[in-house]
Amino acid sequence: MILADFGTSYSKFLDLEERDPRPRILPTKELDRGLRVDLATGHNGKRFSARYVNELVALARGAEALISETSYLVLDCGSRDIKYIRYRDGKLLDMGWNAECGASMGFTIELLERYYNLDFQRLAVPEKTFSVTCGVLGISDIFDAITSGDGESVAVARFVKGIAVNAHRFAGSPEKLYLSGGLCDNPLFVKSFPCQVVPLGRFVLLSGLRRIADR
Amino acid sequence: MAFLDHAPDLEEIRRLLDERRPQRVGIVGQPPRAVIGELNGRAIEILDLDAILVREDMEATVAVLPRVYCAILRTVVLNAMHLDLDAIFIDTGPGKCDSARYVATILEELLPIPVLTTINLDQEPCGNPFCRANLDLTEKFLAITEGVKCARPVAANLDPCPPTAGFWGVPPRDFSILAPFPATTHVYGWTRCLENKTPADLALEIQVNRTIPTVFFAQSFCAKTALARHLAHRHPHALYLDIDLHTTSSAKAKVQAFLELSEVAP
Repeated sequence: MILADFGTSYSKFLDLEERDPRPRILPTKELDRGLRVDLATGHNGKRFSARYVNELVALARGAEALISETSYLVLDCGSRDIKYIRYRDGKLLDMGWNAECGASMGFTIELLERYYNLDFQRLAVPEKTFSVTCGVLGISDIFDAITSGDGESVAVARFVKGIAVNAHRFAGSPEKLYLSGGLCDNPLFVKSFPCQVVPLGRFVLLSGLRRIADR
Repeated sequence: MAFLDHAPDLEEIRRLLDERRPQRVGIVGQPPRAVIGELNGRAIEILDLDAILVREDMEATVAVLPRVYCAILRTVVLNAMHLDLDAIFIDTGPGKCDSARYVATILEELLPIPVLTTINLDQEPCGNPFCRANLDLTEKFLAITEGVKCARPVAANLDPCPPTAGFWGVPPRDFSILAPFPATTHVYGWTRCLENKTPADLALEIQVNRTIPTVFFAQSFCAKTALARHLAHRHPHALYLDIDLHTTSSAKAKVQAFLELSEVAP
């Protein structure tokens, strides 16, 4: 049984029939149009499977599988959108999915890293931030900051911090959050949150699919 | 003929109907039962301008209304611009909203027909059989919004069912958001006031059931977003949702996930 999380930029796969199933990643733009999997989630999931799981449900089930607490908030920051689920005492308390104003934040971060040839592993968290509510609109702030004398790396770091602050606010400003998605691998982003962050990695939705498949 | 300096009383409305003998009128919100009864009694066709009645481009309203505005009132203007009507009755005040009052002013200038405002303060309860019935949620909303055109309560032989979920709010512009809910969903908020024919009844509007997962819905840019969010924050098991012109895929997914994760049976 093949499970897949078809994200906007990257697709993640897990073949449960392998002896030791390990997730694989492929850029979504490289996928074969004829590809079919058994159980899918993600922005592009309906195109590749007859059995589709709502992304928020996959995120919630993945969090259940990976987090031992019963009261927590898990925030997924993807290429295109941000979404969160909050549980209290094992019961759903709140959720949110920002596909419009959170548009393209993850995608824009990756784009900027390549364009300015930066290494997010080495960038320090800046003191100041931008008020970023949209990846695309936030680029203007970067250009303005560079024009005003900020270095490119500082300007981009302020943008990244702005995205983290905005995502934190969107999730209701929790004191602690579990972070899901590819941005877990970006230390600048993770350290930019004004709260305790526990990165869960980019395969949380796949873990959710696995939990659903096992039922 | 200017009517917008005051809400005409029933006698003025009767005189207007006698003089003009309209065949087809539009209503916005829920005008008082006495007014609807007068229209029903004269067999005048009533069109509910809050509903989507024409397939025209919403951009046509940008000439007279801001683009960022309540989608229901933008729909009212779009309908009014394209339908052949003899008069329009717009309810304003606590039973509808201030924005409707301003839209009435705009329509009066825009259209060559009488535009009359009403202030519905009706208090006689007509009951909520559809809001509490075991019936497809879209069917419930269709029946309730259709009932606005009739002064008499809709005769419905429906037994109330135990609720498994709640939908609080106004009738959405785009009914597709209602599809994921089970038939055992009870309806609250202004829609309940509509069925009860008491649209200004705030005490009824703020009623909720704290024991069931409830979606608190409001149209974007509607004043009721404040009440929806406030009630959602106070409810132990709530999802606050505001939607503009169309139901986005993320809004539908939020509702589906909320119901599934709340273990509400489909």
